[in-house]
Amino acid sequence: MAPYILARESWWITHMKNIQRNYWAYVIFVVPALLIYVTFYLYPLFQSLQYSLTKWNGINDPVFVGLSNFAKAISDEQFWVSFKNNIYFVLFSVFIQVPFIVFISIIVSSAKRFLNFYKLTVFLPCILSTASIGVIWQFIYSPDAGLLNQLLTAVGLESWKRIWLGDEATAFLSILLTNGWQWTGFYIVLVLAAIFAIPKEMLEAGEMDGATGWRKAWLLTIPLIRPVIMVTLLLSITGAMKALDIILIMTKGGPFGSSEVMASYMYKQAYTINDFGYANAIAVIVSLFTAVLSLIFQYINVKTREASE
Amino acid sequence: MTFKKLKQAAPHLVLLPYILIVLYPLWFVILASMKNNTEIFNDPWGLPAALSLQNYRDALTNSYIGHYFANSLFIGVTATLSTLFLSMTIAYAVTRMRFPVLSKAVYGLLLISLLIPPASLLIPLYTLVKDLGMYNTPMALIFPYISFGIPLTVFVLAAFLKSIPNELEEAGVMDGLSTFGILGRIIMPLTQPTLVTVFILNFINNWNEFVMANLFLSNEKLRTLPVAIVAFADKFNMNYGAMTAAIAISIIPVIIIFAILQKQIIEGVTAGSVKG
Repeated sequence: MAPYILARESWWITHMKNIQRNYWAYVIFVVPALLIYVTFYLYPLFQSLQYSLTKWNGINDPVFVGLSNFAKAISDEQFWVSFKNNIYFVLFSVFIQVPFIVFISIIVSSAKRFLNFYKLTVFLPCILSTASIGVIWQFIYSPDAGLLNQLLTAVGLESWKRIWLGDEATAFLSILLTNGWQWTGFYIVLVLAAIFAIPKEMLEAGEMDGATGWRKAWLLTIPLIRPVIMVTLLLSITGAMKALDIILIMTKGGPFGSSEVMASYMYKQAYTINDFGYANAIAVIVSLFTAVLSLIFQYINVKTREASE
Repeated sequence: MTFKKLKQAAPHLVLLPYILIVLYPLWFVILASMKNNTEIFNDPWGLPAALSLQNYRDALTNSYIGHYFANSLFIGVTATLSTLFLSMTIAYAVTRMRFPVLSKAVYGLLLISLLIPPASLLIPLYTLVKDLGMYNTPMALIFPYISFGIPLTVFVLAAFLKSIPNELEEAGVMDGLSTFGILGRIIMPLTQPTLVTVFILNFINNWNEFVMANLFLSNEKLRTLPVAIVAFADKFNMNYGAMTAAIAISIIPVIIIFAILQKQIIEGVTAGSVKG
């Protein structure tokens, strides 16, 4: 009996192994997908690096010029305006949007009724397309018929009225608010899920020790949802670096470049000015800067976690 | 007693202004879409004098909106289904087959995508699409959408596939299934709920994508809805009635679908962030 079982056993193991180590199947499963990914993701990435070292108008042959496109960026004032706007975008997300998100989430989680209604309503904007949202907010900010100026007239603050998207002082801020309107609800739903995943016993134990209301939120809830707050911060930082469509739709970087971010400035260099070499150099800077920001963030994340433990 | 009531009402009082900020702009657009221009200026807050759908008629007859809808649907569905199919096979190979070294390399390649903002690939992609003769065809969007969707979809699917117990596959082998049979008959059916989630995630991204759709297609008839909405708004920028009607046409179907599939949509849209 026993040898027979052993033989069967070993046949079985090799057979199972053959199935799970089927080279041809592996190749068929992996290669087509990888081919598309490499062609339409990694290859353009590589090309972007290559073109960033050339002078190229998109038609003639590119001419190698070394790092001069990067030197150009450093001395280009308009580029620095767009760089600063990206920084403002990140700071706005980190120091205004995320605290607001956490605050609202805690409030929603304390509501006994209409929970589902709140969740659905706040989530709604993030499934609408940025195109629709951009156009809706263009209408809201529009000089005479727009909701915002009409509202200011209605409450007697006529002097506050302005051409929100046409004024250098307010154009970029108006875009930041629209972007906030679009994405806040998405993060609230993420944070809410984390709050509801906290074991009840933990919160009850905290309440017994006298932690209620905002004390409870500060001492218990926020430390317990730290991981999701970190995810929210990271996503808002990378989101701020990605933003391009909303700028193209609402202001095209104007007026006078005041609402330009690096990505939209890159777009302009390529498709308005036809300087593809410089545009690719800006693309490389955007990638590097995003990677550096993410790494700094990870570093701070690890350090503060160690400190809190 | 009253204190307790006040305490219960407090969160709602704080949330009310925020909810208004979210909903009122949408309501304002829908109201405006049923008014004519003079009404929009003189009575922005009130209900329209008569329930007039003239703006909608203008918006629909002045454009190929049916075309745009079909284009968006075709491109969105084709790209999403391809992404799902390709990601499923890759995720299966990486998590359930025994090629640890190769699989690590494949996973590593896909992880690169988390570091790169897609916007920075725009210009070389544009060149590539032109070189491949895809410019001004739906392929110009379908292939980039697939490749942008693959990494996150693989991550989400792989996270699920790792949790399937090995015994199920063994039972499949016992029944004489091949590698393909195991994937098709055992793994796929189990993965169905996750596939729905990633379908929604990818479809919404593709349906809403603007920058590439705007750049890679110049033929007016090939436009997708987001591009059409922006072009329409530019064209009618003083005719607020027609413009808001066009916005309403683009957002109302989305809101209705969201009302029906709320749970799946919320799960789908947030799936990427949790796993990524």
